Amino acid sequence: MKKTFIVFIALAICALSSCNPGKESIYKESRITMDTLVTITVSSSSDTVAKAAVDKAFREIDKLGKLLNFFAGDSEVTLINKSAGSMPVTVSKETLDVIERALHVADKTEGAFDISIGPVSSLWDFHTKTMPEEDALKEKLKLVSYKNVVIDRKNSTVFLKKKGMMIDLGGIAKGYAADRAAEVLKNSGIKSGIVAAAGDIRTFGTRPDGSAWNIGIKNPRQTGDDDEILAVIRLSDQAISTSGDYERYFIKNGIRYHHILDPKTGRPAYGCRSVSVITKEGVFTDAFSTGVFVLGPRRGMEILKKMGFDGIIVDSDGNILMTEGIKGKIEVKGNKP
Amino acid sequence: MRSKGTNHNTTFGDKVLLLLLVFLSVYSFIFIKEVMPEGSDIRIEAAGKLLYTLPIHINKTVEVNGPLGTTVVEIRDSRVRIKESPCNNKICVHEGWVRSGAIICLPNRVIVSITGKANKKHEDIDGITG
Repeated sequence: MKKTFIVFIALAICALSSCNPGKESIYKESRITMDTLVTITVSSSSDTVAKAAVDKAFREIDKLGKLLNFFAGDSEVTLINKSAGSMPVTVSKETLDVIERALHVADKTEGAFDISIGPVSSLWDFHTKTMPEEDALKEKLKLVSYKNVVIDRKNSTVFLKKKGMMIDLGGIAKGYAADRAAEVLKNSGIKSGIVAAAGDIRTFGTRPDGSAWNIGIKNPRQTGDDDEILAVIRLSDQAISTSGDYERYFIKNGIRYHHILDPKTGRPAYGCRSVSVITKEGVFTDAFSTGVFVLGPRRGMEILKKMGFDGIIVDSDGNILMTEGIKGKIEVKGNKP
Repeated sequence: MRSKGTNHNTTFGDKVLLLLLVFLSVYSFIFIKEVMPEGSDIRIEAAGKLLYTLPIHINKTVEVNGPLGTTVVEIRDSRVRIKESPCNNKICVHEGWVRSGAIICLPNRVIVSITGKANKKHEDIDGITG
């Protein structure tokens, strides 16, 4: 009897001191990868399981970063660009997947999102405030057309038809990576979490208390610590991406030159300050946020409705436009930016 | 038959009381751990590795090495900043002193973040897009 009692006490202490093993808690880790800060947040009852899953997800993102990097000498994207006009390049399933989706978005946005903008975007340097010469811009614009990017799914090849063409997957790769990382987490037994590759966020499941994840949307005209967030939206099993004219830019003679270039002119698009797109997959929120930004608020909103996506657009005057689907899920803070 | 002298046998009531005390003491420990906020720390990571976890209230300057060279991180008066960085754009240095959130130097792969109770910035937000 005494022995049983002691064993019972010991078990009770063990059970209690393990801090309620069934309780879900948040595990969060940030790393610099794909030339940006990626934060993975998961809800799990075990720190060990969470850490192992997050580690695996980061490895997946690292792998994609190596394949899709525009600047790395040995990436598949660089290989495709180097072979432009001469021969198709055999690529991985992942690279082919991203390019295929990019061409789909290009088609749906009437070329407002175009991965073949590489030769033009290379002329701009927002850090050194370098603008392209008019002649050089005209010349390079001739190389920009997604219709000259040919993919052969059967042979897993990509071919750029014209010499000098360059694809840049910077406007879609992070969204795709967030999707892939979320799948890796799910396959590792994680039921809910967030993968945030800079501003490209993929959510799945809910917070430990069962509520949706709260995602803040940055104010495109932040003036201080108090007005960093424009709105907070509640998401579950959805992705969100934002493209804004405040991320990389310089101001010259009172004009804001920012990094979201219109593939038709090679110059910054001026209809919006920021565009956030919400749908199931990060690969589409990432690419469509750029495409809609370039199209401007009116045409952009039409495309969002046509695609069945949700979105918030801050136009060039600071007016906030949003699709019907997110009304009730979003809390706008303060006045218009 | 029980003796009337010193009795070492525990009664059912003693056992219940003991059990209750054990539960209470362990539960209090867990309750305090769960409810009370943690202290505030500065986490300094470079090239994917956590190099320092330092208390925010102790003034200290540390140097960490990234792929481009040495980044100098300074903690003073419960604030932190990147004092020097080998990167080109110096965005991290221009960010100045912060009391919450994080400072990130992408080129030199350095992350300085504030954890614990000092980091009240956007505590109800799980992620930020933009």
